[in-house]
Amino acid sequence: MALLEATGITKRFGGIVALDAVFVAVEPGEAVGLVGPNGAGKTTLFDCLNGVQHLDSGEVRFAGRRIDRLPVYERARLGIGRTFQRLELFAGMSAREHLMVAERVHRGDGRLWKDLIGRARAAQPVPRVEDLLAELGLKEVADDPIESLSQGHGRLVELGRALVQDPLLVLLDEPSSGLDTRETAEFGTVLVRLRDRRATAMMLVEHDLDLVRSVVERIYVLEFGKLLASGPVDEVLEDEAVRRAYLGDLR
Amino acid sequence: MTEFLSYAIPGLPYGCVFALMAVGLVLTYQTSGVFNLAYGAQAYASALVFYVCVNAGWPNWAAFVVAVVLVAPLLGLAMDRFLYRFIRSARVLVKLVSALGMLIAIPSALALIFGNQQRLAPPALWLPPGSVYFHLAGDAINGTELSTVIVTLAVVLGASLMSHFTQIGLRMRAMAESPRMVQLAGINSERVGIAIWVLSSFLAGLAGVLLAPLFADLQALDFTDLLVAAIAAAALGSLTSLPLAFWGGIGLGVVQELLGGYLPSGTVLSSGLRPALPFVVLLGLLLALPGLRERWFHDDPLSRCDPPPPPMATTIGGYGFKGALRVARWAVLFAFFVSCLTWVPGNWTFTLTQGLAFSIVFLSIVFLTGMSGQISLCQASFAGIGAFTCGQLAGHFGVSVLVGILAGGALAALVGVVVALPALRLGGLALALATLAFGLLADNVGFQFSWSGNGDSGVNIPRPEVGSLSFASGKAFFVLACVLLAACSAVVLAIRRGTTGRELAAMRGSELAAASIGTNLAKLKITVFAVAAALAGIGGALYGSLQGTVAPDDFNSLLSLVFMVVVVTTGVYTVEGAIQAGMAYVVLYQLLDYLPSQWSNLFPILFGLGAVTYALHPEGIVEWQKRRAIEIVADWGKHPETVG
Repeated sequence: MALLEATGITKRFGGIVALDAVFVAVEPGEAVGLVGPNGAGKTTLFDCLNGVQHLDSGEVRFAGRRIDRLPVYERARLGIGRTFQRLELFAGMSAREHLMVAERVHRGDGRLWKDLIGRARAAQPVPRVEDLLAELGLKEVADDPIESLSQGHGRLVELGRALVQDPLLVLLDEPSSGLDTRETAEFGTVLVRLRDRRATAMMLVEHDLDLVRSVVERIYVLEFGKLLASGPVDEVLEDEAVRRAYLGDLR
Repeated sequence: MTEFLSYAIPGLPYGCVFALMAVGLVLTYQTSGVFNLAYGAQAYASALVFYVCVNAGWPNWAAFVVAVVLVAPLLGLAMDRFLYRFIRSARVLVKLVSALGMLIAIPSALALIFGNQQRLAPPALWLPPGSVYFHLAGDAINGTELSTVIVTLAVVLGASLMSHFTQIGLRMRAMAESPRMVQLAGINSERVGIAIWVLSSFLAGLAGVLLAPLFADLQALDFTDLLVAAIAAAALGSLTSLPLAFWGGIGLGVVQELLGGYLPSGTVLSSGLRPALPFVVLLGLLLALPGLRERWFHDDPLSRCDPPPPPMATTIGGYGFKGALRVARWAVLFAFFVSCLTWVPGNWTFTLTQGLAFSIVFLSIVFLTGMSGQISLCQASFAGIGAFTCGQLAGHFGVSVLVGILAGGALAALVGVVVALPALRLGGLALALATLAFGLLADNVGFQFSWSGNGDSGVNIPRPEVGSLSFASGKAFFVLACVLLAACSAVVLAIRRGTTGRELAAMRGSELAAASIGTNLAKLKITVFAVAAALAGIGGALYGSLQGTVAPDDFNSLLSLVFMVVVVTTGVYTVEGAIQAGMAYVVLYQLLDYLPSQWSNLFPILFGLGAVTYALHPEGIVEWQKRRAIEIVADWGKHPETVG
């Protein structure tokens, strides 16, 4: 059974149909790509999947459960992690603190009375957090204020913040935007390692097709809110209609 | 029908004044993005200058020229050029606090210049108030009412002619639609912006001079209420439409008088609801109009870019240095404690105990604004709820005062939950205005009943007694205040260190990302408002018990604004900041008491100007200076020979 199954997803903004009966599915541990020109509705689809936007019609099932009426935080607790196209970091906190707060929320450590009677201990190194910081290459900058980090490090912090919660699915929204070639390649290596572990499924929105090819196995193509094509990466990217949508009419 | 008209017509002059203010407010907000909360103070400034000039024997027209044509635009222009211009793309809190600082500083500066004696019977602008010109639906129309309506109509006519038939008018209209497009069209938007500030300030001055004779005497507080009425009227036009804002103002004035006519007279409902109408309307609009919320949320894309705050003073230096600092801090605290119990004279112990009570109230602002990024402009009202609950329980039910203080905190927390409900949907400016409206509502209605604040006579709160242990003496009460403050600080520190504190910091950083890692923002915000209200309530009850008697005026909504300004000036991010604010607040007040009475106005001026520096030093002036001092000492520790 599919981990995530979204059917007939429709979202309108006033007179604009941003998503029109879109279908996507992700198997457990699978890496899926989502491509399409700017304004195709990729980020809106992510917003609908994790609850930032409400659907006009359609159904989202996650791990066998209907989730399209749940608020964002409950979907997160069920195991949907996410990164953002425009970085959403916690101002004034370090990279380590980003991961720590996510880890604590994940453990359900957020009760007020626990803080008051001192059950939640102060900043002690958490093995899971330290491992992830090392794996993402963030050790050196772990204690710097987040505002002083580069865009590339910021993207890694967002990824780490999602992964520290051991999500079943992580939605990655254009992780390569704002990164240079070297940083993109490094980010790709991290994603490939994540895919090969097969514990976390991922859905990748990305314009860098090399990155998409190297990470995902299956791909969905969106254009003007409609699903244009889906299937194995190489087949779909060779498809005539997809090439036209993406690269323009070459003739 | 005649009865209806006879009630409605006296509302027109008020409506005209509201309308002028609302239009001016929308003009500057639309074009500069700064919500000018000091607008009421500008109106007051012109009214005061007009009063002073007329009383000095000037003819009315000369006084009008000086007060409305010269002083008002100059004041507005000065504020724009020296302050608002620099913070257009700043965060909402920065803009808000700067404007609040001006709102508080301007009336005090005026009192310092012109003296703060009572000013009875403000002069009318044009037609004499005594003479009746004609009767309309049974209402005698006097000179004040007639001239207000005529002048307003003339100004509105003139302004709309100008906006439709002159070059600068066209540009101003374009600017009000979209400042960015005006810039792209190659127009010097700065110059148009200046023209708009001049026009808007002129309207404020005119409104102030027109409004003044409707009151028995000239008071700055009346103009703050005028400001809220204007905000409500502007909100009727979604803060964007000038005509809607204008008619909203007229309507508000008329409805207010209708309520006064139809509601049974002599009850709290009629004496309270009539002045409270603008706040109720504002609160309702904020909650009901989704357009208003959206607009205020996505105010300015730049407003979210925030440079990282500098490190706190406590985090500087190596471990040995930190240890030494900690020892020094405890030594200071210990010396303070022992001094107050031994050689400090009684009246100063009293003052410092007041400071401890205020520190608890200020702790609520640190928790709410500094730690959680929420804005509340009604913390004094929560303090009032705490104090009155404590007093009423002790007076009527013989409840022990210590229990009463805690009960006061608990009830304030309950009310805090109710206030938090709009906070779930609103943010930034909308939330600030909603809490301001709530505070004014508490002032004008909530605290006026005999079972709550008991109006002007106030509520008695005895000093606590536990068995044979009495806290009636000044020193015993001081110890109690120290213990309560320590307990409250410990609670805040524990929350900050724990998971909830981390989640609060995350929410302050990015609500979207906080939700996407599984934080329940609704629950978190309700918790924050409840805890903050409880802290304010406990502080207020303690203050009340210290004073013996407290009246609603001790917790008026203007005080909420002052509290906010004081805390952000001294330091809004740390518990230490709250205690510094509490101490600075009372000590400065006491010191100014030794000077001639006029100089007590220095106090709001100092903090008002202090708030303006918030844009540069969000960590607070005291925190900033402390950090500098510690850095110098730390440097000296490293290289003793280079500092001589």
